[in-house]
Parts: sequence; C-alpha cells; structure tokens
Amino acid sequence: MVKISVLQHAPSTHLPSRPGDPVPTSRNLDPLMHPFSRARERTRALNAAKMDRLFAKPFVGSMEGHIDAVEVLCKKPGSLNTVASGSWDGGIIVHDIAQRRPLRQLQGAHKGKVSGLCFAEGDRLLSCGVDSNIKLWNLAADGDGSTSSETPLNIFPGKSPFNSIDHHRSGPIFATASNTVQIWDETKSAAVSNITFPTSTETITALRFNLSETSVLGSIGSDRTFTLYDIRTGKAERRVVMQMRSNSLAWSPTFPTTVLLASEDHNLYTFDVRQLSAPSQIYKAHVAAVMSCDWSPTGLEFVSGGWDRTVRIWKEGHGHGPEVYHTKRMQRVSSSIFTNDARFVLTGSDDGNVRIWKAKASEKLGIVTARERAAIEYRDSLKDRWKWDSEVGKISRSRHLPKPVYQAGKLKNTMLDARRVKEERRRKHTRAGENKPKAERKKYVLAEQS
Amino acid sequence: MDSLFARADAIRPVHKKRNPSSDRTLSSIAPHTALPKSLRPSSPSPPTHKHIKNLNLRSQLTRQAHHAARTKSLIHDAELLFKEDNGGMHVESQMERTWRVGQRDIAQGAGEEAAKGRQEWILDGGPYRTRYTRNGRHLAIAGKAGHVATFDCKTGTLHTELQLQETCRDITFLHDQSHFAVAQKKYVFIYDRDGVELHRLKSHVEPTRLEFLPYHWLLASVGNAGYLKYQDTSTGQLLVEHRTKLGPCTTLTQNAHTAVLYLGHQNGTLSLWTPNLPQPAVQLLAHLGPVVSVSVDPSTGGRYMASAGADGSVKVWDCRNWKGSVREWSARGGKAQLEWSAKGCLAVATGGTVNAYNSPAIKSTFAAHVPPPLFLTHPIPHRPLTSVRFCPFTDVLTVGHERGLSSLLVPGSGEPNFDSSEADPFERKTARREREVKGLLDKIQPDMISLDPEFVGSLAPPTKLTTAVHDTVDIPFARLPRLERLRVQGLADETEVAEDGRGRGDDGGAGDDNGKKQSREEREKRKMRGKGKSMKRYLRKQRKNVIDPTAVAIRTKLEKQKEEKRVAKAIEKGEVEPRKPSALDRFRRS
Repeated sequence: MVKISVLQHAPSTHLPSRPGDPVPTSRNLDPLMHPFSRARERTRALNAAKMDRLFAKPFVGSMEGHIDAVEVLCKKPGSLNTVASGSWDGGIIVHDIAQRRPLRQLQGAHKGKVSGLCFAEGDRLLSCGVDSNIKLWNLAADGDGSTSSETPLNIFPGKSPFNSIDHHRSGPIFATASNTVQIWDETKSAAVSNITFPTSTETITALRFNLSETSVLGSIGSDRTFTLYDIRTGKAERRVVMQMRSNSLAWSPTFPTTVLLASEDHNLYTFDVRQLSAPSQIYKAHVAAVMSCDWSPTGLEFVSGGWDRTVRIWKEGHGHGPEVYHTKRMQRVSSSIFTNDARFVLTGSDDGNVRIWKAKASEKLGIVTARERAAIEYRDSLKDRWKWDSEVGKISRSRHLPKPVYQAGKLKNTMLDARRVKEERRRKHTRAGENKPKAERKKYVLAEQS
Repeated sequence: MDSLFARADAIRPVHKKRNPSSDRTLSSIAPHTALPKSLRPSSPSPPTHKHIKNLNLRSQLTRQAHHAARTKSLIHDAELLFKEDNGGMHVESQMERTWRVGQRDIAQGAGEEAAKGRQEWILDGGPYRTRYTRNGRHLAIAGKAGHVATFDCKTGTLHTELQLQETCRDITFLHDQSHFAVAQKKYVFIYDRDGVELHRLKSHVEPTRLEFLPYHWLLASVGNAGYLKYQDTSTGQLLVEHRTKLGPCTTLTQNAHTAVLYLGHQNGTLSLWTPNLPQPAVQLLAHLGPVVSVSVDPSTGGRYMASAGADGSVKVWDCRNWKGSVREWSARGGKAQLEWSAKGCLAVATGGTVNAYNSPAIKSTFAAHVPPPLFLTHPIPHRPLTSVRFCPFTDVLTVGHERGLSSLLVPGSGEPNFDSSEADPFERKTARREREVKGLLDKIQPDMISLDPEFVGSLAPPTKLTTAVHDTVDIPFARLPRLERLRVQGLADETEVAEDGRGRGDDGGAGDDNGKKQSREEREKRKMRGKGKSMKRYLRKQRKNVIDPTAVAIRTKLEKQKEEKRVAKAIEKGEVEPRKPSALDRFRRS
C-alpha cells in the first residue's frame, strides 16, 4: 500500500466565515517565501526618507504687529499658547499662538527698545527697557470683561539702561542686568541687592535663573564672560572668560548643571557648570553670530537663531548637522524660543514678525489615527535602520540653504581649512614637541576665575 | 595565647565563603541532575560586547543582538502555527514503488478538493504554453496557432479567450492576473484581463520567450535575433537590450530569488544575465547541441539548476560551483522540458511521458549517467510536450502539449503554507489592489539585480588594491604612483632592479656604492662597458617596469648562460667536480 496525501486548501479556512468579517491571513516566515526582502526594505526606507523631505513644511504662520525688529520673546510658564514679544519700537504684544492673534498690545510700553520680558506670578508681565525702567503689567481681564488699561501696575526706576530681566522660579524675586546684576523684590521699589564679580567693569547683557537650583543665577557680559552667582550668599561665585562674547544663555530644563551659550563666534556651547574649564560640547553650523538660544522643555533639543537669517534646531550632544529653517523674508533672527509642548518653535526677527515653526519639519498637524501613527513609526525606524545607506542617508541629511548662507559656509570652511593648514605647517617647522596641537574643546575658554 | 589560636586556626571569620567544590551534597547530586531539554536555552546566548568601551555603542549592540536572537526564536515558534501539511506519497514496504501508482489512484486517494486538480483539456490550435500567476490561482495558456485564454483555475471561470490568428510562442502574466503579455509572431503584445489589447511592444521583435520579474516590474523577452530586452512595465520604457551574440534563443527562465535570467543557446551555451551588465554574468558550455530547457530550483533559493539539451541529456548543476554538473542522465525521447517545484521536485517531460524526481536524489553527486530514482511517471500520448508548470501552493503539474493541456497530481510538490502578504490564492479585489500599489511602491531598481541579492545593505568589502606605502597612511590605489600601482598588482618588474644592483656590485672597486665617489676618468671608462651587446641593449630598451614575457625569457636565458660560465670557471679552478655524462642525460629537461 502506498500512502497518498495531496495538498488541498479548504476554502472555508481562508475565506471569511460571515460577510463583513476580515479576510483571514496566513503567514509563512520562511525567508525563501520572501525574496528580495532586504532590497524591498531598502526601497521602503528610501521612500520614507523621500516622503520625510517631501512633507517637510515647517513654517506654520507668522504674527505681525510690531513696527520694528522683535528683540525679545518669552513664554508663559504653565501655558501652551501665551507668548509675549518686545520690540525695538518699545511696544509689547502678548500673543495667543493657538489662534494667532494678539491678546494684549502695549504700544510704547518703554521709550526705546524693550530689552527684557518675563512673566511673573498670577498673569503679570515684567518688562525692562533701555529707558532704565522696569514695568509690571497686569494681563488678566478686568471684571467688566475688557482688558485693563495701558498703565502698568508698578514701575521700578533704575539708574542705568537694562539689558535683560528674569524672574525667580518660585519666589517674588526677579533679577535684572545692567552694568551690574540687581536683585529686586516685587513689593519693593528699589533693588534689594547689587551683585558684581569683584574685578569686573563690564556690562551684563543677559541673565537667567537656574530652573532647579533656583537661587543660582548665570549671566553673560560684554567682557566675553559667563558668570555664576548665588543670591543666597549675594556673591558672584565663578566666572569664565571665553574667546568671544556670548549673546544669549539658557539653562537646561532637565540637566540642572548644563548651560547653553550662544556665542558671537558662530558656535553654541554647552557647559557643565561643575567643570567650566572646557565646554562639554561645541555646536557648529551657523555661519554668523548666534543671537539667541532656548532649550526644548524635554531637554533633548534646543533652538538657536542667528545673524545669518537661519533658525537651527539641534539635538543635545550632536554638534553638527542641525535642522535648518529659513524663508526669503525672514531677516536676522534676534530671539527664538521653544513652546512649552516642545512641538513648535517661535522666532522673532529684524523684520518685525514673530514666526511659528514646527519643531519636527515633517510632522503632521492635526489628528493622527492609530494606523497612521504606526506607519509613521515604521517609517522612522526604517530611516534609522538604513541611515548608513549612502542614498538614504544623503536624502535625510541634506538641506537646502539660501545661496548667501551656503556661500558663507563655504568661505568659512575654506578659511578654517587654511588656518588649519597654516597651523600644521608652522608646527612642522618648529622644534618637535614645542608646539602641540590643542584639542578643539580647549580652545574656547581663556580663563576660569573664582 | 594568640599564637596558639593562630596555630589552631580557630580565629576564622564566620562569613567566609566555603569552597563550593567542597560541598559534598552538591557534588553528589550534580552529575545526576540537569535542566530538562525543553527548558534548556536552545541557542547560545547572544554575545556581550564587553570589549567595546563606548557605553552607548555597547548597549546598542547588545540590544540588537538580543533582538536578533528573539526574532530567530519567534520565527521558529511561528512554524507551529502553520495550518496546512505537506502532501506526499510514502511506500510502506521495500518492494513497493511510488512510480507504479497511476494518476487515477492518486486522484482517488486525494481529497475531494485536491482531486479537482487532475484534469484534461482537449484543445485545438497546436502545442500549448502555460503560465500560472504567483499565487497559483489563475492560468494563462497560449496555443501555437493563436488560441490565448486566461482563467481562474480554482473556480474555472474564464477571464478571456482570444483567437489571435497568428503564431503565439509564449505567454506570461504581469504583476497579477489583470494583465498578461503574449509573444506573438512579430511583437510582444500586452492585454488586460478582459482581452483588450493595451500595448504593442514594437521593440521586442520576433520574441520567442517571455519572463516577468515581479519585484522589479520588468518584462524580459528574448527572440530570434538573439537580443535580450528588458521593458519596465511600471514606467513603460525599454530599460536595456543585451545582444547575446549567440543567435536565436528559445530558452529563457528566471531565478525567482535573484531575478537573474538564464538563457540557453543553440550552441549549447548557458548564460546568466542581469540588466546592468552588457555581457553575461556567467557563461558556461552546458550541452553538446542546443539547450532546450532550463529551470532553477526555488526550494534552495536558486542553488541548483537543471538544463536539458536537444540530444535528450538532462543535467543538474550546482550554481555555486560551475565545474561540471552534479548529475546527468539522458532522457528517452529527445528534447526535455524541465520544471522544479517549490519543494524541490523536478518534472521532466520528454517524448510521451512526464517523469517527476524527488529532491535529495537529484541533487546528490552521482558519477554514472543513469536516471535518478523515479518518483512518479505519467504517459501523455500527445507529442510534443511543450511546457511543464507546477501550480504554486498546490500539488498540481500542468503539461501543455499538442492536443491541449493535462494537469497531473504530484503529491508533495507544492508549498503548503502561503504568505498572504506575498501571494494569496484566496485574495480578493481590495487585497489585489492594495498589493498592486504596495508592489509599485516597493519596486526594486533594476540596477540592484546581481548574482548575490544579499549584497544590499551589507558592508562594502574592503578594497584589495590599497597599500600602505608609508607605514601609517593607506593611500587609495588610484592616487598611487605608477610603479607602486604595478607593484600592488604584481606586475612590477622587480628582477630588473635586482639585476642592476648586482651589476653594480660586480664592478667592485672602492666607493662605487654611490656614483659620486667615482672619479671622472673611471666613470668615462665604465660608461659603455658591457652595455653595447645587442641582447643587453634590448633588455635596457625594454625597461618598461612591466613584466614582459620575452624580456623575462631572455633574462632567464642570460641567467642560465651566466650560471654555466660560472660552473665552467669553477671546474677549471678545480673547486667543483665535473659531472660525468650519463646515458640518462637524454631524458633531462634542458
């Protein structure tokens, strides 16, 4: 006897049992059943990278209203949509970024430019200007529904023009930067204390309170310095002198010891304040001075705006290849912030507009279904897996730059290269061991003082 | 007192660990206990990358290794979920033979659904060629006299039937049953499911065979002019045409796992083609006389190939190593048509019979030229048998012949478990549409076709032609000076340099290591010495730094003469005994 069995597929097992049921699927994971699986996956990765660039439309909208350049932007803690901007014309506008309309317009809040803005407890706004005044504004609507008048709640007169202001995280204290650092109490009309580094004669250009160690204050000055203060001791603790001056600073929201400096020498630096002898990372891509910087609330990313009319979004710890945003009409970017949900970036520029950008250029705004979400995640993982492939990597890395920025970058590279070659030749013609190459990170800090 | 304690070793910390090997209980049990087999780790644990210093990289690699190991085990688990079992025929005693079982018995023994696979179609219009879709659901047939039909072979519904009134040599489905291409008398034509002529591909002149590469969306044809042409069916452009230079060709098949095309030619040559090479990737002389049929084994991913010659010989080749066939035999009845099934069963149709051979026997090396043990045989009286096709995912073999088609049951030849994402015999309209779009999105570029499909995504092999000229830097081959390049390639003429060096050494005299020290008279005296001889002059003129066979031959000749002179001189001086001539000298190689 020969045992015979012939393969047969019962249609009942492969067809839906009732109309409307999903069609049953069967799987066979034998690699022979899936020819070219790798090549097909690569094609999918390539398509994913292309689609990512295809849908990269980061510009969301712009908010007008200022007559002159926007100097300063600040977000309201605990609010996703309230942002205040101050301009060179002395006006302040409080924006609702969800609806893209102004909540309050304070024309002529200061004489000359508004140099600093910060929110205080209870829907109040502090502003300082070059007219040597600090003004406290009430933003809350009055009982009759209309917004309160254009007169400030309080005016704190100072002796010299102010450059920056920042509020304490929890207490009713704020600090201003002029030729000294002054600590103010909201209830008192004069400064509580003045702090300076003993030997300094510089102008303080910006200052920020640390977000977790709330009595620690960092400032940058015109003397190329970054200084740390403690308001409990009322003293300047430590100071670093760098090659070139910084234009902006921001404390990391998740790593309390990390501070980010936006420098005039086209670079950004993160410092660990426990170790100030060298920056922990240098971020190089701008081709002109970096004017502003701000951390994402996740602490994994930060945004910077530069004199080169570009906005760049960096990943913490990745010193090159940031995301670049630019438009034809955007001028020098003087202020840039991340919103509190880490999804948007706001920039204020010389053309008087506040622009809203997506933090992820190709992110879809609006409702994303679960299936769509799964597809997006699959595409992301494909891109990550195939990023070493030359074509896929090239597509996801390359960014279009405006011609002047591109040319400036090329010129900068040429100059740096020439400098490096000259250095090498000089080293070659000096006695061996006399002129050692310096690590890149050690080049930027001139002195550490305490 | 303390010393006494110390000597007695009484002061001993209590918590000190005891030597585990001294644990008597444990050592007594240990040889008799072990983890049950089911609980033992089946594969060795994934590697820990302890030697890598970078913690980020190390954790990433470890994660990847764990992921890979888990995937492997999950794939193994997934096999438990297979719904269908293999078919097969098994004999119960030594004396029985499977080939004695006829088709009627098999059809009786098979289930009701499977028995429907055994059919005979009597059709007019000459020998038929057939082709299944990838899911095995639809069948296209083309008769030589112009009868073309496509139909659903599960339900038996006819999609279209055409009487084209001209010679049709081959037919193939495109990506699915909605389009098919026919190789007609003059050109290739593409029809849709309803038989509407969509395209006339005028660049494919007098085609004889067609193949469609589904993952690359390429329609390949070869014709009487001997041109292999690739047409991209998604963009419509003629991708490339290769001139085979081997005359009319009537044998074309594809390797489904590499998308390489196999051509058999009139002079017995077999050639493998990819679109990106203007010459065959592999060319071998397979048969004496024309090659009439080639088939690639899908069960091993294209490792084995079978070819048949017009003289009736059938050869099985191992495609990793083209040196001679694994097995060869001659089939009775002349030209054989071949086809491998998904499970590695080889069908050979010659004369008036179809024979099926099973896998391990045909792939094992066997020196004698005798047919392998037969698995199944079936006579078909309508000669010639012009095509054999296994139906995917069933045990059905369809033979096209002079009087129509016959489909046979070959138990155990089909892959029982299909994958719905690749090819589903039960797929419906929406699934077909979705698969069409997905297939277009995942279309692989034709320049990715190569003999080894796994090169995609693997690391580029280190280039062999770089060299460390200095100890530290590797300079790319292209930027090396010419002499270095020759040295790397093994073409540099090193002998010349050595000879020159020796020549200088022979001159002797004080301080001629570097030419500066020689006095002027000496230099003039030596200037032409020994260089005027025609042979030496030839060698000097030939100094191209490249090994030249004539120059080498002359140089060896000179060496030999020099050696002979040296020996003669030595004999003269009495340092060496002269060799006595012997009778065996006539056999010496000079």
